[in-house]
Amino acid sequence: MKILLGILIFLIVWQVFSVVLNVPLILPSPYLTFESLFHLAGQSDTYQAILSTVWKSLLVLLTVIAVGIPVGFFMGINENVYEIFRPAVTVIQAVPVISWLALVIFVWGIGWKGPVVIGFLSLLPISIFTTAAGVRSTDKNLIEMAKVYKVPKVKIVKAIYLGSLVPFIFSTVEVIIGDVWKVIVVAEYLCGSSGIGVLISWARQYVDVPRIYALTIITVALGIASERVAKMAFRKILGKWQIPS
Amino acid sequence: MADTILRVENLKKDFGTLPVIDGWNLELAKEERIAMIGPSGCGKTTFLKIIADLDRNFSGNIERNFERVGFVFQEPRLIPWISVMENLTFVSSDEDKIIFFLKAMRLEGFENYLPSQLSGGMKQRVNLVRALIVDPEILILDEPFASLDMPVKFAIIADINALRNQKRFAIIMITHDTKEAISMADRVLILSKRPSKIVEDVKIDLQEGERDISNTEFIKIESILMKRIFSI
Repeated sequence: MKILLGILIFLIVWQVFSVVLNVPLILPSPYLTFESLFHLAGQSDTYQAILSTVWKSLLVLLTVIAVGIPVGFFMGINENVYEIFRPAVTVIQAVPVISWLALVIFVWGIGWKGPVVIGFLSLLPISIFTTAAGVRSTDKNLIEMAKVYKVPKVKIVKAIYLGSLVPFIFSTVEVIIGDVWKVIVVAEYLCGSSGIGVLISWARQYVDVPRIYALTIITVALGIASERVAKMAFRKILGKWQIPS
Repeated sequence: MADTILRVENLKKDFGTLPVIDGWNLELAKEERIAMIGPSGCGKTTFLKIIADLDRNFSGNIERNFERVGFVFQEPRLIPWISVMENLTFVSSDEDKIIFFLKAMRLEGFENYLPSQLSGGMKQRVNLVRALIVDPEILILDEPFASLDMPVKFAIIADINALRNQKRFAIIMITHDTKEAISMADRVLILSKRPSKIVEDVKIDLQEGERDISNTEFIKIESILMKRIFSI
């Protein structure tokens, strides 16, 4: 109920500002935007674009998890590995998207690979550093206990390190899910051949501002929906991790 | 000596410029039980870590004539996201033994509980079961009852004593509580302030049946022990 009230207030403020400004090229009214949104909903191109953005986002999510978690794990478990990898990961994190863009266009041109690679490189450092932080924060008392009882290393990794890593993995995934849409849409806008970002790029060329806003609403909705679904799923799985011991 | 399970000679330990343990000498015979009482910061827990081979940064000589050690930590140190049974199979795969000690420690029926679903006393019992299922030759107890109320504490002590009389493992324990020490030990070592020395070695001359806090002999020994502690 409170959420609906919040949305209502947001729409009213939007409407007021659009009337006061009276420049539809900058801020179209909610009416124009939703009219455009309904128009988009009736076009098959919109669904193809959404599908294209969704599969690219999923691909980025999976590859970031598949690479980031093992690398972060080894960085967390071993100080030397951490110090060796840290500079490279920090550089990847600091490089601006525009630099990746130049490289990606040069290598692959316009297409699906560019957005996926840019998304991957933008989100990989978060996944690595969060995982490493999770491993480094493992309860040293538990490791000491395992040493007293001469528990094999494989068992220690499985029961203690991976166990304490689970909440970090889920929070990493949550953060990535929240960011992946934005990153992919920007990358599509800059070097994609399909997807919501490409539709936004076309709308910009036709100076169709309500359409840009409508496509933005679709992206935001996808982001919020995926984050909610992930949170609901994780809450169930993470039940026993949230109870303090 | 073949009957000695642990011999410590001139043990010294410091943390940087801070000397903590200053030349401890002690012997623990097989099946013997000693308790150590001393002020906070005098190196008691550090000593237990040295015995358990968790800390090798010391000078002096340690002769360990044992392989299997059970360590009852001050805090339960149970892995929070796995069940009681999984916490126990983490250190030993002998399920029959686990079930035997779970029964002995009155934890039957709690095998599938998570640590967070247990009371403080139950967690400490699981901590104890974990130490016992490895079939220890020496049981190390690091103030294991500090956070427990009196009835729970003495119920657990009674269970440990009963099991120890069956399994005959040696015990080395740290405590601040003279009652705990007298209930469980054959000797009580009194430690001085940091840098600590072993200043008294008090024999507890009580039969098993007399190790009851309301027993007259128990109370006499406690008063002697208290006098010695306060005289340091």
